[in-house]
Amino acid sequence: MKKTLIILLVFIMSVPVLSACWNQKELTDLAFVMALGIDRGEDDLYHISFQLVNPGNVSAGQTGGGQGLPIAVYKSNGRTMTEAARNATKEVSRRLYYAHTNLVVISEDVARDRNLMLNLLDAFARDPEFRTTTELVIARDSTAEEIVTTLTILDKLPVTKVTKEIKFTEAMKGENKSVNIDEIIDGITGNGKEPIANGYRLIGMKEEASKATNLQKTTTDAFLAADGLAVFKDGALIDWIESNKSRGIIWVLDKAKSTDITLKWKGKKNALSIVPIRSKTKVSTIFKKGKPVINVKIENEGWISEANTAINLMDPKTIIKIEKLTENEIKKEVKSSVKEAQRLKCDIFGFGDIVHKANPKVWRKLKGNWNNYFADIEVNVKVNSYVRREGVRTNPFWSDINK
Amino acid sequence: MEKAKVSAYQLFVLIVMFEMGSAILLGLGARVKQDAWMAILFGLVGGILVFFIYYRLYMYYPELPLTSYLQKILGKWLGRLIGFLYIVYFIYVASRVLRDFGELLTSTIYNSTPLFVINTLMILTIIYLLHKGFEVLARVGEIYFGIVYFTAILGMLLIVFSGLIHLGNLKPILENGLKPVIKVFLRETLTFPFGEMVVFTMLLPFLNDKKKAKIVCVGGMILAGINITITTIVNITVLGVELYYRSPFPLLTTIGRIQIADFIERLDVLFMLYLVIGGFFKIAIYYYAAVAGSADIFQFKNQRKLAFPIGIIVLFSSITVASNFAEFIKEGLVIVTMYLSWPFQIIIPSFLLIIAFFRNKKKKTSPA
Repeated sequence: MKKTLIILLVFIMSVPVLSACWNQKELTDLAFVMALGIDRGEDDLYHISFQLVNPGNVSAGQTGGGQGLPIAVYKSNGRTMTEAARNATKEVSRRLYYAHTNLVVISEDVARDRNLMLNLLDAFARDPEFRTTTELVIARDSTAEEIVTTLTILDKLPVTKVTKEIKFTEAMKGENKSVNIDEIIDGITGNGKEPIANGYRLIGMKEEASKATNLQKTTTDAFLAADGLAVFKDGALIDWIESNKSRGIIWVLDKAKSTDITLKWKGKKNALSIVPIRSKTKVSTIFKKGKPVINVKIENEGWISEANTAINLMDPKTIIKIEKLTENEIKKEVKSSVKEAQRLKCDIFGFGDIVHKANPKVWRKLKGNWNNYFADIEVNVKVNSYVRREGVRTNPFWSDINK
Repeated sequence: MEKAKVSAYQLFVLIVMFEMGSAILLGLGARVKQDAWMAILFGLVGGILVFFIYYRLYMYYPELPLTSYLQKILGKWLGRLIGFLYIVYFIYVASRVLRDFGELLTSTIYNSTPLFVINTLMILTIIYLLHKGFEVLARVGEIYFGIVYFTAILGMLLIVFSGLIHLGNLKPILENGLKPVIKVFLRETLTFPFGEMVVFTMLLPFLNDKKKAKIVCVGGMILAGINITITTIVNITVLGVELYYRSPFPLLTTIGRIQIADFIERLDVLFMLYLVIGGFFKIAIYYYAAVAGSADIFQFKNQRKLAFPIGIIVLFSSITVASNFAEFIKEGLVIVTMYLSWPFQIIIPSFLLIIAFFRNKKKKTSPA
């Protein structure tokens, strides 16, 4: 009898322990924050837009998954990120849940202000719920709120559109690259590498962007597009590098996988198009009289995707010539990017880091004034391009037209 | 003293899990940044040398635990006093490790759960385990060893395939020379985790094959040391030096980085399991040493009865040991190493060895 009682007691006592839900969060009580848009208000507070997913309206596959919009945006403000996030609870009927936040949009206004920019980063890094692999982009010529409220047609969730787009454009074009919060913080703290971030622009009629009608057209009235790279120095945005000069940066950072290169051939413009498919960049440094010189070595291989002129592509000598032209073209682009960064006196390539790793003693001397030193540093670029094949045609039809 | 016997393999497993326990969780040697791995390897070598002190003592008294031969070497009362201090030390360290894991869980996934509740659950399991005796602990170790190793190898592979490793982060090697590395070696890595082998002086008498003691212990230390070094290298190469320095639990941050094919990601919770298992054994072993030691000194016939009260002491001191995380870490880095680890792990055993050496010499020569 006594034993039965004891066993019963143990059972009862383990009930509260085994249920294991100290602060359980039911799915219906959570609001998944997909994206955050951070603006600066006139009151110098952070104005934050929370893009929440509207679960019922996203479920894909089933026809008529929902009538409403896939996202809802709520706004709140505060002196700090935490305050703003807590203020938002006054508007949202559910608990804001950040574990699935994939995008943080920061307006140019905020990014240009060192204080505002630096003050918001720690909140992201410290919160255990928030993932620091979250993508960070800067809103260009529009507020972060406008970026976050824009509806997109192909992907139901605008966040998916942005994060996937960055991934694919990095792989296919190489003018932008995926940048997460950790990288930004690393760049701000680490010596010898300044961070960059993608710019995002809302193109078209801004007032239409957040309306459901925007989704009912094949050419939307307003859409989002990546545009340029934001350059940070001392923790604040200082300038933009436009798309035409940003490809060289991605190349030096060894993030370029594929892109397209247009070449002139025997006086004809836009005659050839080369598509590298693999690329590898090695940055090293040598010391001339104790001064660092940077060597950038790029190796890539690709194929000819267009030949709009009479050209004998079956001749190995021609291919060698094309390779040379490609090399020069890439070299020119990389050099112009380096020059642009040197003009801004901002070492976004991490050359300082490479000098640091190669020779800590020299680095200790240069560290304090590195960005100025960087502005005049000698950078040698060497490119090896290989054109391996030319698609499923041998010579172009142009060779026969002119006969 | 409990009549338990464990096989060489079981002891080996316990040593590996004990050494890895909380060392793998914390950013070991973070003060020397990218050279942390070097400090750990130094620590391993130093730790093995220190272990030979314990081993010689064990050779003199292969049947007795530390608290018993203390009385033989130093006389009954002084020996008991120092033995008692050792028990307090074991209880204190057990409660620190318990706190470590409580902090890990409360600051990462169980944000709103009180520390006390988490620690209670952990200590209750361990009390139950120790109530069943040392042999059970050893057998549980055997089972979990496989699980721990499987997760570790899986994690390693996932990290490699995520393409996260940047070996360049380990450069420049010895940026500030050897001096800071030596400093960290003496202050941190020698005493934590390798010097903690001192707790096995309480457990070695359980080993069924005396000849294997050396190879088992040194082998276990080397395996654990290599694992810790690899983990540190992976942490630094994935996170970079700065983030390694700023993370309280770097391994968890590293695991959080894994992203394969857009669906194998956010695995932190899975690996929390791995970390908690390691901590479980570390707490259990310290705690067991304290229980066995008190039974020995106070001549308890049934040491199982001691498991519960000492468990409660461990639990409460794990809460009261520090009022916040910063204080807890500071205490660990400054007070524990200087005033606890060095005396208890190195200085006292060295003196014991010297005295034991002369006593046994006398014994050997006198009958002849």
